[in-house]
Amino acid sequence: MLRFVIAAAVISGAVTFTAAEAAAEKVFRRANDLSYGGKESLDPISATRFYEVNDMVYSRLVRQDDNGEPAPELATAWTSNDTATEWTIALQSGVTFHDGSAFDAADVKYTLERIKDPALESPLASVLDFIERVDVVDPATAKIVLSKPHAGLPLLLMDYRVRMIPEGSGASIATTGIGTGPFKIESYDPEGQTVLVANEVYWEGSPKLDKVVFTAIPDSEARNQAMMAGQLNFNTLTLDQIPQFKDNPAFSVQNYPAGGWFGLVFRTDTAPYTDARIRKAMRIPVDRAEMMKLMVGEGNGVTGCDQPVKANDPFRAPLDCPPDPEGAKKLLAEAGYPEGIDIEVHTADLEPGMVRFAEVYQQQAAKVGIRVKLTLAPSDGYWDDVWMKVPAAITSWSARPADQILNEAYRTGSAWNESYYANSAYDQILDKARATLDFAGARALYQEAQRILFEEGGTFIPYQQNGLRVLTRDVQGIKPLDEDYIRWHLVDLIPK
Amino acid sequence: MTGLRATLAYVLRQPSGAVGLVLVAVHLLIALAAPFIIPYDAATQNAAAILEPPSLTHLFGTDRLGRDVFSRTLLGGREAMLISTLSAICAMAWGSLLGIVVALAGGLLDAAVMRVVDAMVAIPWILLVMLFVAALGSSTAALIPLLGFSYGLSVVYLARSAALDFVARDFVLAAQVRGESRWTIAVKELSPNIRDSLAVQGAMQWSWIFLAVSSLSFLGMGVAPPTPDWGQMIADARGIMRTAPWTVVWPMVFLSSLIIGVNLAVDAWAKALGIERLGRTPQS
Repeated sequence: MLRFVIAAAVISGAVTFTAAEAAAEKVFRRANDLSYGGKESLDPISATRFYEVNDMVYSRLVRQDDNGEPAPELATAWTSNDTATEWTIALQSGVTFHDGSAFDAADVKYTLERIKDPALESPLASVLDFIERVDVVDPATAKIVLSKPHAGLPLLLMDYRVRMIPEGSGASIATTGIGTGPFKIESYDPEGQTVLVANEVYWEGSPKLDKVVFTAIPDSEARNQAMMAGQLNFNTLTLDQIPQFKDNPAFSVQNYPAGGWFGLVFRTDTAPYTDARIRKAMRIPVDRAEMMKLMVGEGNGVTGCDQPVKANDPFRAPLDCPPDPEGAKKLLAEAGYPEGIDIEVHTADLEPGMVRFAEVYQQQAAKVGIRVKLTLAPSDGYWDDVWMKVPAAITSWSARPADQILNEAYRTGSAWNESYYANSAYDQILDKARATLDFAGARALYQEAQRILFEEGGTFIPYQQNGLRVLTRDVQGIKPLDEDYIRWHLVDLIPK
Repeated sequence: MTGLRATLAYVLRQPSGAVGLVLVAVHLLIALAAPFIIPYDAATQNAAAILEPPSLTHLFGTDRLGRDVFSRTLLGGREAMLISTLSAICAMAWGSLLGIVVALAGGLLDAAVMRVVDAMVAIPWILLVMLFVAALGSSTAALIPLLGFSYGLSVVYLARSAALDFVARDFVLAAQVRGESRWTIAVKELSPNIRDSLAVQGAMQWSWIFLAVSSLSFLGMGVAPPTPDWGQMIADARGIMRTAPWTVVWPMVFLSSLIIGVNLAVDAWAKALGIERLGRTPQS
């Protein structure tokens, strides 16, 4: 509450300021939700990374183009050796950090090798731990040496957290935010206001905005009100909030493929889900299109067949899975449950929709005699005490590219293998995919892995959800794409 | 029975008492008749009828899953009423028994037991219940003893102080001199005298427990879907209060009218019996 009052005071103060300065300066206003309680860090690889700000102050080596495929950012080109164990990266020249120092291969070495530092406990370590070392070939060339072949390295370098920081800056980066991005940190206060100013010497051209101001507003309803009152230019929405903005000429609402998802995870190491037939029977009777319609509305997501891979990922498998109640009944009967089966599913009121998701599944599953007892666990500690502990639970993931999620959540023994899936054939396909340099070949393998998950995996994923954001009408240059696709130096405010 | 009829007549003569009693009666009637009068199955989802405003097809509109809000609202108090009734009985039973026993025993036992009760009362009930729900999981079977225990604590105070008024009276002393057992004294001498206070307290406990169950359901720890429940309905619809008010207004109206009704009726009843209603202890 106190935070809300402070935020409200800060906003009203800021508004007075705008009125006077508007003509002179283009100030873009956003809110941060304080979901890390003020620990939001400017260190891009911290578990509490302040990613909205980090996206603007740092650059990656590789970014995605509008189709989600790797495109040059600080790296101008990348090539690997025949076995995909060594990657040579050519770097942009003439790029400087906000403190004036030049960006070169030594910074790449420092940034990438730092990810593995056990003291930092970065969540990225589990994704990029196969980077053995980085060699500085010359200031404009770095060589990334891998401990295992990986043909998809550029895709992983696109991760929103792999952002270049100056060599040796690890101790101070969490508060200085010195990067090569289009905006520089003027002041940093995640609980109050964080102010960014344009980096006039940004290597892709000077940004069109003068300033970006982030105000901490923890409550989603308060953020909405601030947006309504014209105190913010940009805000993310949930589906329920759309009607307030949709028909208002002062705003535009964007609906973009994002790929976050809820799932229902059955532990493959726990009876009765040790039987692949039962796992499949749990997943195939559901009308996924109807489930998506009930949960997020038509056109606000992409239905899928348990692929965890984000909807616009080039490696996503094109699967089709119309509801198959007869098939499910048959599988249940074969597995010894001709009269249906009683199961318990845990969920929690943790994220909006997490309980409803279970309720919709409960109704859908009832059609084939799967009688679901819903147990509502306390939200507090759900990820520690319930998820990966109970036999069946609702899960929630943000969008991840194919190689990352297929390894992170399904490879035998990986830390977040929530269904305890263990299939060496599956693991070998992923190893092979990583080692396959040819794009079409790698795609075939990743898609094969997703087909295996649909046939016998333990995770039910009916759809990937779109992202929703609202912008004031004067905002230009933000495409309806996920946050890390936005090219912030091109964003402008043009009053209409 | 004339006593009961006189009390009822007294309650009905007071406007607030009459309103309260009518509200409670209507709620009881709805709860009993609901399964036979609801037009739709309360759990059936309909993707083609999401968030429809009230109409003749759906009197109270539909919710985010296309379910009929009218049917859900009519059914939404039943489970919580059942839990509250059983919990209140449980709370009254152990609370009064312990209160009377320590009042009769006095001395060290009284002091020791009451300090333990003091300490327990200091823990907010919701923390206590959340702790147990976290450990045992949420189910009706687990909630009843939990709420019964936690709300019984304040009954111990009431029963003890009500009994203390009588333990030193001549008829109790006489019974003791006659050599009657403590149990007989408690049942035959004390109970008839403190019965009214306890009954009023029991009815109040019921409404507090009902609110507690609704709060737990609101927090996702009470009545589990697909059973509809007012607290759960309010929690689910609170984010769309402005754009689809019908999803949240009806469970609110039903919940508050029930609680207000019980309170008005119990106040009038306490007045009719000539007893001061016990104020809410920190426990409640």
